[in-house]
Amino acid sequence: MATFQRHRVTPWLLLTPQIAVVAIFFFWPAAQAMLQAFYVEDPFGLGRTFVAFENFARVLASAEYYRALGITVTFSAGVALGAMALALLLAVLADRVIKGAGAYKALLIWPYAVAPAVAGVLWGFMLDPELGLISAGLGALGIDWNHQLNGGQAMALVVMASIWKQMSYNFVFFLAGLQAIPRSLLEAAAIDGAGPWRRFWTITFPLLSPTSFFLLVMNSVYAFFETFGTIDATTAGGPGGATRTLVYKVFEDGFIGYDLGSSAAQSVLLMGLVGLLTLLQFRYLERRVQY
Amino acid sequence: MATLRLNALRKTYPNGVTALHGADLEIADGELIVVVGPSGCGKSTLLRMLAGLESISDGELAIDGRRVNDLEPAERDIAMVFQNYALYPHMSVADNMGYALKNRGVPKAERRRRVEETARLIGLEDLLDRRPKQLSGGQRQRVAMGRAIVREPRVFLFDEPLSNLDAKLRVQMRLEIRRLQKRLGVTAVYVTHDQVEAMTLADRLVVMNGGRIEQVGTPMHLYARPASRFVAGFIGSPAMNFLNARLDARLGGDILTLPCGTRLASPIPASGEAKTVCLGIRPEHLAVVPEGDVIDGDLSVRVELVEPLGADTLVHARLDGQDDLVVARIDGIRAVAEGDSLTLRPDPGRLHLFDPETGQRLAPMEPECQHSTCPA
Amino acid sequence: MRYRRRGLDIASHALLILALIAFCLPVWLAITAATHDQASLYTGTAPLWFGSEGLGNFRAVLTEPVGRLGTDVTRLLLNSTVMALGIAVGKIAIAILAAYAIVFFRFPLRRLCFWLIFITLMLPVEVRIMPTYKVAADLGLLNSYVGLILPLIASATATFLFRQFYLTVPPELLEAARVDGAGPWRFLRDILLPLSKTNIAALFVIMFLYGWNQYLWPLLITTESDHMTIVVSLKRLLSSADNLVPWQTVMATALLAMLPPVAVIVLMQRYFVKGLVDAEK
Repeated sequence: MATFQRHRVTPWLLLTPQIAVVAIFFFWPAAQAMLQAFYVEDPFGLGRTFVAFENFARVLASAEYYRALGITVTFSAGVALGAMALALLLAVLADRVIKGAGAYKALLIWPYAVAPAVAGVLWGFMLDPELGLISAGLGALGIDWNHQLNGGQAMALVVMASIWKQMSYNFVFFLAGLQAIPRSLLEAAAIDGAGPWRRFWTITFPLLSPTSFFLLVMNSVYAFFETFGTIDATTAGGPGGATRTLVYKVFEDGFIGYDLGSSAAQSVLLMGLVGLLTLLQFRYLERRVQY
Repeated sequence: MATLRLNALRKTYPNGVTALHGADLEIADGELIVVVGPSGCGKSTLLRMLAGLESISDGELAIDGRRVNDLEPAERDIAMVFQNYALYPHMSVADNMGYALKNRGVPKAERRRRVEETARLIGLEDLLDRRPKQLSGGQRQRVAMGRAIVREPRVFLFDEPLSNLDAKLRVQMRLEIRRLQKRLGVTAVYVTHDQVEAMTLADRLVVMNGGRIEQVGTPMHLYARPASRFVAGFIGSPAMNFLNARLDARLGGDILTLPCGTRLASPIPASGEAKTVCLGIRPEHLAVVPEGDVIDGDLSVRVELVEPLGADTLVHARLDGQDDLVVARIDGIRAVAEGDSLTLRPDPGRLHLFDPETGQRLAPMEPECQHSTCPA
Repeated sequence: MRYRRRGLDIASHALLILALIAFCLPVWLAITAATHDQASLYTGTAPLWFGSEGLGNFRAVLTEPVGRLGTDVTRLLLNSTVMALGIAVGKIAIAILAAYAIVFFRFPLRRLCFWLIFITLMLPVEVRIMPTYKVAADLGLLNSYVGLILPLIASATATFLFRQFYLTVPPELLEAARVDGAGPWRFLRDILLPLSKTNIAALFVIMFLYGWNQYLWPLLITTESDHMTIVVSLKRLLSSADNLVPWQTVMATALLAMLPPVAVIVLMQRYFVKGLVDAEK
């Protein structure tokens, strides 16, 4: 790559804004979280005591934490698999009708623009125990819907709202992936006597696997972090902690419970988890992009 | 309008690779110098050092006697035409040509006048509002030229400017570059790997190999008196034939003996003991000898492949009883078929001898030029 | 040639249209609910058709202080707009500069800088809630636009994207510019920025949505309604009434909250899709 030579100060001037923001609002707080995780703050905020790994031990020994972990996994798996399966189905349909694929894309893309919290509110209304259209329909089927009382139903609500928002993102990628598959491959398979079903599972699906993997990572990140708004606006982690994910728990313990040490320890554990996801994502990028 | 002086110019990259091992060269005002060599020989590095795009590790570069080693490209008052033209894709032809003037603070009206004047000179008047994307390859090439000309630089630098054009356009643009350069009288350095382009364009040729300058001279001088086996093989098409020969002193003259047993009179005297030399004969200096006219020193060969080119025919033939292939350029009207036996006679005045180890020219050393078009 | 089956085609269209309807349903119900008054809303299940209020509820939330929010939605929309624009423009601006330094200059610690920026992908605000809040509070950024925007404008994704784009710019373009007498700032302004136009537009869409749809950070940093964003206000509206949720107000606000980002995505769809797919590369 050609570069500007003999400019020593300019690159630093260019980098300063980004590096400053990153240092002040990312690394400094992250370091604080790590440090905090090893201390216990006294309730009046007068001082703190070094407790080594006690916060971590406390977090990792609490049943609540494992419950939140389980809820996070259930929630993320539900959102990721649901949003991907639905998107794949619709993308395959849109891809095969040729005429109108673009129109369907245009009409399906907009939920991506809706804020997670707004998505939660919209679905909360459809499933409102008193007014909700769907809850009324379910009532007619003999299902008594009240996500304010029933933990499983609360979970179903946030999963559905999250899928609704994320589906369009996956749809765009799956459609692009499908349209990138050379027609000649499918035609060759058709000549070899494979029907549409077999063609899909033996040709299309394997060729989509890089896209699927990428989406799996992106959907997991989405379910982990961005759905905070969905949960907070609809169930606020309830009822009885049934929708309290790890992120929600960090927020609750820190801002409502004021247990800074525990919140910090949980933050550090989360960072490790995100690190893992990022690593996966980067391995994917690395294969795609020459570094 | 400038002279250039390269004094032991060296380029060593931070990883320790040396791309240029000390180049010395004086370029006269208004001269068109063509630097030619195989890829990786350092010719592009040399050009980019002249431009100021590569730093100079050692030595000195002077334009009009002033050291410019540490000047930015723009401060050297040079213009460069790139292989892929490097036109700014979002600017019109006029803006592309005027960008350097704008950066120099030339007023808008003056800029416009100069761009239009240059456009007329190279036939771009009607394209000034187009974007590079809307131009053909040849037109882009012209814009790249125009961008260089409009600045009225002291030196033009050309980095393989014609290699992205098709063969016909290349010949046409080659003539045009030559014409423009002479008309404007601007000193120019032109890099190419195409030896035909090099021969036809150059006032003087610089042949490079392995990061060193092998020889500098007029095209005809390099053709007639290549200083090394490398230059001999690189200049001229098809390439010179090389045969091993033994040189020894005999009564009645010094003799070259080829592996097939043929003996030729040596153009240089043998010194003491017999030694092995490399004999070079250009394809056009091998003539077909009519049957019955054969004399000592003629080569009998068997034709393996015939390439008719129209005016000439290239004959690839094997020396009798040997593995060596030679190429001869013979008159196109002569009918030769594969499998024929022929007798070829080397032009005794056009033999080249090289040291088989160093590749240096052995004979004849004096630049006695016999060619009519060869300048003194 | 393509194996076509008419029946399958019709079934595909039917399923797609069904999906479209299903996807539009929540919004349709929101629109109808927003045109009712509270009394008619609570007579049964959510209405499928418009009510008597027309745009009255919208007019009300836009002009009068709503419930316990203590401010009208116009103010919230303004706050959200400032935040979303600030974040989008800020992210793009500092990412362009950083990527420019990393690609077109050689300087000590260049790789370290790249990694420092890249690693922030691993530190979303959700995992460092408390300490980031504390830093913002210490800097006096609570309840301010700067506080809403500044901590969110570092962007590994945008920097990475611009870096990828810059790497595809032919090196000769930079060399030609240097020969033409353009220094770093001129090259950036005259050559690189005009060439980045579509990338900037694509990122703008994505970053605008990101900024507009932020929830956790504005929730933490704004305690007063004069800097609250519209997305965050919804929860307060939901919990504001002691007995009956004023769904007609909530839905009118929710629709107003989704209108700007949906408008951006619809109007700039071409760039948005390009941006998404590029972000993957």
